[in-house]
Amino acid sequence: MICENCKERPASVIIKKGYIGEAVERHLCEKCAFQSETFHFDPNNEPLSIQQFLSQWFGGTEPFKTEQQQARGNQFGNIECPGCNLTFSKFLDIGKFGCATCYDTFRQHVPNVFGKLHSGHTTHTGKIPVSFNKVYAIKRKVEEVRAKMQVAVAEERFEEAAALRDEANELQKQLAHGGEERNVD
Amino acid sequence: MSIEKFIQNAATGWMTAHGENSDIVLSTRIRLARNLRGYRFPIAANDDEALAVDKIVAGTLLDDDEDDYTYSRMSELSSLDREVLVEKHLVSPHLTNPKRHGAVLLSSDESISVMVNEEDHIRIQCIYPGLQLEEAFNQANRVDDILEKELPYAFDEDFGYLTSCPSNTGTGMRASVMMHLPALTITKQIDRIIPAIGRLGLVVRGSYGEGSKALGNVYQVSNQVTLGKTEADILEDLGNITSHLLAHERRARKLLVEKSQIALENRLFRSLGTLVYSRLLQTGEAARCLSDVRLGIDLGIIKDVDMTILNELMIFMQPGFLQQFAQTDLTQEERDIFRAKLFRERLAIDGSRPSAEKGTEE
Repeated sequence: MICENCKERPASVIIKKGYIGEAVERHLCEKCAFQSETFHFDPNNEPLSIQQFLSQWFGGTEPFKTEQQQARGNQFGNIECPGCNLTFSKFLDIGKFGCATCYDTFRQHVPNVFGKLHSGHTTHTGKIPVSFNKVYAIKRKVEEVRAKMQVAVAEERFEEAAALRDEANELQKQLAHGGEERNVD
Repeated sequence: MSIEKFIQNAATGWMTAHGENSDIVLSTRIRLARNLRGYRFPIAANDDEALAVDKIVAGTLLDDDEDDYTYSRMSELSSLDREVLVEKHLVSPHLTNPKRHGAVLLSSDESISVMVNEEDHIRIQCIYPGLQLEEAFNQANRVDDILEKELPYAFDEDFGYLTSCPSNTGTGMRASVMMHLPALTITKQIDRIIPAIGRLGLVVRGSYGEGSKALGNVYQVSNQVTLGKTEADILEDLGNITSHLLAHERRARKLLVEKSQIALENRLFRSLGTLVYSRLLQTGEAARCLSDVRLGIDLGIIKDVDMTILNELMIFMQPGFLQQFAQTDLTQEERDIFRAKLFRERLAIDGSRPSAEKGTEE
């Protein structure tokens, strides 16, 4: 079946909307579902998809429970990701993040989701990209130099303190430059 | 090198070569999910963003001297070519939707496949024959190092590699082994084992991943948890479970032979008969019979049938491949006829009766 909205991509998501006395079912592709406003998923679809899993854990998307959805919206404060306009309620419905910024936007709530999905684990312990390690090394160096600077100031070694301040500023610049480089767009 | 090479080269590396425990473990696959910093994930990206990601990733890999990749855009392949890539497990069905600007970079031996604009910007996949978790991981990790040297990844100190689906966050790594478990299936032990494995942060599925049933008693065992465990921990857990499954399967096979040899031989030879003499052969039946014949060879009951031919037929019998092989689109009935013909030709020895039939006369 083709997506009812874009009429291009195959429909992979069934959205159930409840009106008084009748139910409307919409078949959308993943992308159009992401952009649509409110939707419910058919919990009878097998196998249990990630969105169904999340919905069930977080008190859900059972069809026609708009009040519940409203309550959930309030619970999560309707925060919207500035990167892709995803709200946390919508994330619970579709089970996917729209961009890396979502992780920052929903930082307070996502550990709860991860805990359920990853056997209680919420923090990464695996591989770290080399570029990320470099940034961390500089950050740590800046902290170190600033600490030395404060000691120098306290001991009234002002010339040394000024040199350390310049060093910290120089490192800070590298960090900012590195940050720009790391943003490809 | 053209895409035809991959399509025509029917039996891909992981299917023909032999690895450790390759009688039961068909292949080992490592997949790493990565995203570029500063670009929305494919689900939310517009066309320009998706095309930019494609250009950056493909550019980086094609410029690299270590591997010789062939680049293919999904929208430029025929639907049949896309189907064949899926059947060879080189791309996911999700990637092949021509509207999503999906592309794949394949190494010349097909052991490395880098998908662009799948659910994540980058999916690095390495498939090895038999049980080779460490080798497959090292290869995928090497490709990841090449990419991360040039490209800024979306990474977070707390959450690790940031992915579109929260089930991949952290290492972004899915390690899977494809196992042929006919004895555990026949004895129905698999129904008890699957939920038990689930409790260990691992999951057992059919051979085509989420939602698919176990075609031909082939199961995919993979890690469910990607966060809070190191890559080494994940590989160790999966390796342990695989070893247990191997031992269970071997024990179940031994018991089957001991307790019900005639019934077992009857079933396996009937399946061989079906493959060798059928005039119409559907996918499900072919897969079930192939599984039986494979078991027969492993147990030494069926002799003189080449395992490599069986591996080849596992791939060939799929609809996309059959049509590629026939050089034309086929209806379902035509496919079943063609499949039966293919099996008869490949399994007949010197055009005469297969030796297994002689075996029954002994």
